[in-house]
Amino acid sequence: MRYSSRRRLSSALLDLLVWVVLIAMLVPALWLVFTSVRNPVEVNAKPPVWVPRQLTLDGFKPLFGQSTEATGAIPFDRYFFNSTLVALFSTVIAVALGTMAGYVFARYRFRSKNALFLGIMLSRAVPGIALSLPLFLLFARISQAGPLKLIDTQLGLIIVYTAVNVPFTIWLMDGFFREIPTELSEAAQLDGCTEWQTFVRVNLPLALPGLAASAIFAFLAAWNEFQIAGVLTRTVNSKTAPVGLFDFTGQFTIDWRGMAAMATVMMIPAIAFVFMVQRNLVRGLTFGAVK
Amino acid sequence: MAQLTQASVVEQRFASTRSSGTSRFVFVMLAPSVVIIAFVVVFPLIYSFYLSFTSYTLLKPVPAWNNFANYQRLLQDPIFGQAFINTLLFMFVTVNAAFLMGLFLSQAVARTIRGQSLLRTLLMVPMMFAPVMVGFQFRWFFNDQVGLVNNVLTSLGLLNGSIPWLVDRWLAMFSIGAATVWMNTPVVAIILLAGTLSISPELYEAADVDGANSWQKFRAITYPLLGPFITIALTILSLDVARGYDIVSIMTGGGPAHRTELLWTYVPRVAIQESKFGLGAAMSFVTVIVTVAFTLYLFRQLLKSRIL
Amino acid sequence: MSKHRMSALLVVAGATLAACAAPAAPAPQAPQQPAAAPTQAAPAQSAGDGPQVAGVDRRFDGVTLRAAFIGGGQYEKMYESIKDWEAATGAKVEIVYKGDGFEIDKKLKTDFAAGTGDYDVVWDHTSFFSQYIPFLEPLENYFSQEELKDFSQAILKSATRDGHLWLIPRHADISVVHYRTDLYGNEQYKAEFKAKYGYDLAPPETWNQFFDHAEFFAGKEPGLLGTNFAGKEEALSGRFYEILVANGGKLLDENFKPAFNSEAGVKTAQFFRELYARKLVPADMTSLLWDGVANNFCQGNIAVHNEWFGWYSYFQDPKNCKVAGKFDLIRQPVGEGGIRSGWAGAHAFSIPASSKNKEAAAALIKFLTSEKIMYEEAKLGFLPVRDSVWARMIAEASNSDNPLDKKRLEIAQVAISNDFFAPPLIAEWIPLTNILTPKLQAIMLGDVDPKQGLDEAAAEVEKMMAEAGYYNK
Repeated sequence: MRYSSRRRLSSALLDLLVWVVLIAMLVPALWLVFTSVRNPVEVNAKPPVWVPRQLTLDGFKPLFGQSTEATGAIPFDRYFFNSTLVALFSTVIAVALGTMAGYVFARYRFRSKNALFLGIMLSRAVPGIALSLPLFLLFARISQAGPLKLIDTQLGLIIVYTAVNVPFTIWLMDGFFREIPTELSEAAQLDGCTEWQTFVRVNLPLALPGLAASAIFAFLAAWNEFQIAGVLTRTVNSKTAPVGLFDFTGQFTIDWRGMAAMATVMMIPAIAFVFMVQRNLVRGLTFGAVK
Repeated sequence: MAQLTQASVVEQRFASTRSSGTSRFVFVMLAPSVVIIAFVVVFPLIYSFYLSFTSYTLLKPVPAWNNFANYQRLLQDPIFGQAFINTLLFMFVTVNAAFLMGLFLSQAVARTIRGQSLLRTLLMVPMMFAPVMVGFQFRWFFNDQVGLVNNVLTSLGLLNGSIPWLVDRWLAMFSIGAATVWMNTPVVAIILLAGTLSISPELYEAADVDGANSWQKFRAITYPLLGPFITIALTILSLDVARGYDIVSIMTGGGPAHRTELLWTYVPRVAIQESKFGLGAAMSFVTVIVTVAFTLYLFRQLLKSRIL
Repeated sequence: MSKHRMSALLVVAGATLAACAAPAAPAPQAPQQPAAAPTQAAPAQSAGDGPQVAGVDRRFDGVTLRAAFIGGGQYEKMYESIKDWEAATGAKVEIVYKGDGFEIDKKLKTDFAAGTGDYDVVWDHTSFFSQYIPFLEPLENYFSQEELKDFSQAILKSATRDGHLWLIPRHADISVVHYRTDLYGNEQYKAEFKAKYGYDLAPPETWNQFFDHAEFFAGKEPGLLGTNFAGKEEALSGRFYEILVANGGKLLDENFKPAFNSEAGVKTAQFFRELYARKLVPADMTSLLWDGVANNFCQGNIAVHNEWFGWYSYFQDPKNCKVAGKFDLIRQPVGEGGIRSGWAGAHAFSIPASSKNKEAAAALIKFLTSEKIMYEEAKLGFLPVRDSVWARMIAEASNSDNPLDKKRLEIAQVAISNDFFAPPLIAEWIPLTNILTPKLQAIMLGDVDPKQGLDEAAAEVEKMMAEAGYYNK
């Protein structure tokens, strides 16, 4: 009895600790939101002002076509549109391609399978630094040579983000398909399903949580990517929100508040997306688990 | 165990009845992924590999072959050497720290019953931050005058004066490390949480009957069964940390006096700002090799646990 | 063929000039009226009425210009006037890229290399343009001597290399010492200072006095520091360069060999090191850039401060700054070499050689650097680069309640004509700062001895310059 109450106490303490740690982890996010609604005087004040004393939404003005003293109007609607389009398309395509490849990696045996798998995974290990500029030069050649315009277009970014996200999706889906009992596929094939039908009708529905998990990672990666977008984009035709954040940095100044406001708005779709699919996330990640 | 045999049976069946239709199916399923990766990753890399043997600069964009001159130069470049060592150190420390943090959080969240889905969403908040923003935010936190960290320490009475977080060599490394760990912990936590939740509760019930305490249960059940998840988490982590260019370049830009110089702050400075693209390409190749080697090491572990 | 085209251009340029230069009225005569309705102004021009707006010409009807301009806050106000030019000419301007100076630099270089730089007008800067010369169009064929006469000659000189003019300045900036009148005017401090240093406390005339003042004021009041400098990237090298020149030193000698590891250089490096070691500057100065040091001054944490003119309206705004109304300016101090030097630069416009609409681009530049537009930009606090706009600004500032409004302009004008020191016009300036700045930081932080640090930097710079082919000509 005594033993168990001690245990309960320590478990309550642990709960408390978890919340404390998590809230500490949230400080940067909270601070960001606070900064976005502050008076400019408070932003860099010393000593710092914790909770904003006076709320103002002025920081959000540049996002909606009005200029403030610190920053002119920013074509945020275009950035937001570009980001959404690029992130959604690249996520859907990457998940589709990655699922297809993951399926055959999980279920089929073919020549150089291990080497190919390893090669694909390693392609994700290439840092953006090593990639962005040669990619730009290559894309520039292609755009100059033919009708395919990849510089400063949404298409260019979609292609890049798809390629960047495919390896991880393959990996997750490979693990996930291994989880699905093969008997189902065998039965389907005996019923006369083609291989494609077996994949789409039998395995794919069961793999939905895995798709959700892959989609979260792909979406967030594309939504927040800066390095490559910074090189490939130039105008509102394709500039994404992370690149647009730099509209708040001038030659000499940073409009901290405006930047925080934009980052706050940028987090909303990310949170919405994660919230929608997070239920499936944990389930989707339990690949290769010993049941 | 049972699964393993089943899988092999199916694979064998497919293998033995392999028809042209099957191999076409495999081809069709794989080709799009392979093509797009080749297009976006492999070709540019081959191109920059070629340029790394030339004197190509942005202001004189004519690749003139110069053998190993770029590689010789980087070997003699003390800053490159320092950046190289800093990078290994930085990756080693941040990967481990983010791993331990993530492991702790996953275990803590896994055992809470009430409010777990809220906790889970909160846990993922750092993932939703654009890395660029993480950099700006943490640079400001560690600012020595107006930054939050110094002011909190001062008001807690722990500090008199101010700590130059972004100046001192180790403190500066700590600061960029803290930001990197903050951003990368959630991925680990989520993956390990998923792993932990997939462990059958019966195992813990049995352990309870034996009177095991939490730590014993963790050591004997959770940790070993998390094995594959841990490898995956570590692999993802090492890849993401190696992509952490945005954070470091904004927080310290490799300075002061090259104290926080990492390969990924130094390479763009050489390749773009100083326009020496050929040399930059050589450096980024070395960077690629380091990252790939690091990943490969982790992958060997992963492949062991994977049924191929 | 090309000669023929060139002379055609000259005729065109001359024609534009004739239309614009004729009525170049003395500046202070409020020439805003005719330009306020530029749609009318354009036809009027062909009738020879002579509006104040330059570069307005119907020949460019239907042309679309692509531009890469500096973005952010005050810089963008100018671009609103482009609408007027579009309306008057029928041409269109598409600002395809906006970013800060370093971002544009990156963009231009990668675009030039990839051949994707299809811009017609680009932002440029006296510190940057030397890198782009192979990709730029010389401008002397588009701008006549007559048109350039009104521009500050010191700045035009910094825009010329190899006998060609590469950029047309938009506005300039130069360093100037800002000091706190409440501190310097405090009787008790004056007495204490006199007792300690043996001379009167007055705004710094020399860099040695500047140092004494920083030392004296640091810690005098809670949180008060002596001074601060932007301590990283190009900024630190620029500050070093400026004081090095004042101390009689040189960055490079006439053969482009590094010369900054001279006695004057060591003295200058020592100056920074002492400031840092004695904690007269913020401990995190090596991570501060322009916004950081300006914010420190603005918050009232700095006694005396070397800063750009461009911040003036920000510092004078009591909503933003605690020092509003509590500071004054003085021309740059003299160094040991008896020289007053201000690190200076000018924002400018250039035309890439690849542009297909160079005449229209030149016309746009003429418009953007015209008296009217420059005057409007000067009203925002930027320093104009035309003598006529200067005259007008000073005349207007005489009516201001705040005498500093006028004094500031007078100091600036004197400084620009006498103390204007742009960094060396070499493509390697930025790479040079990439070598020099970390060494200066190491010297400040005490990692390396000043002489040794500068020697090491000099050796690296020499190697870089040798590789760039400077010594085998």
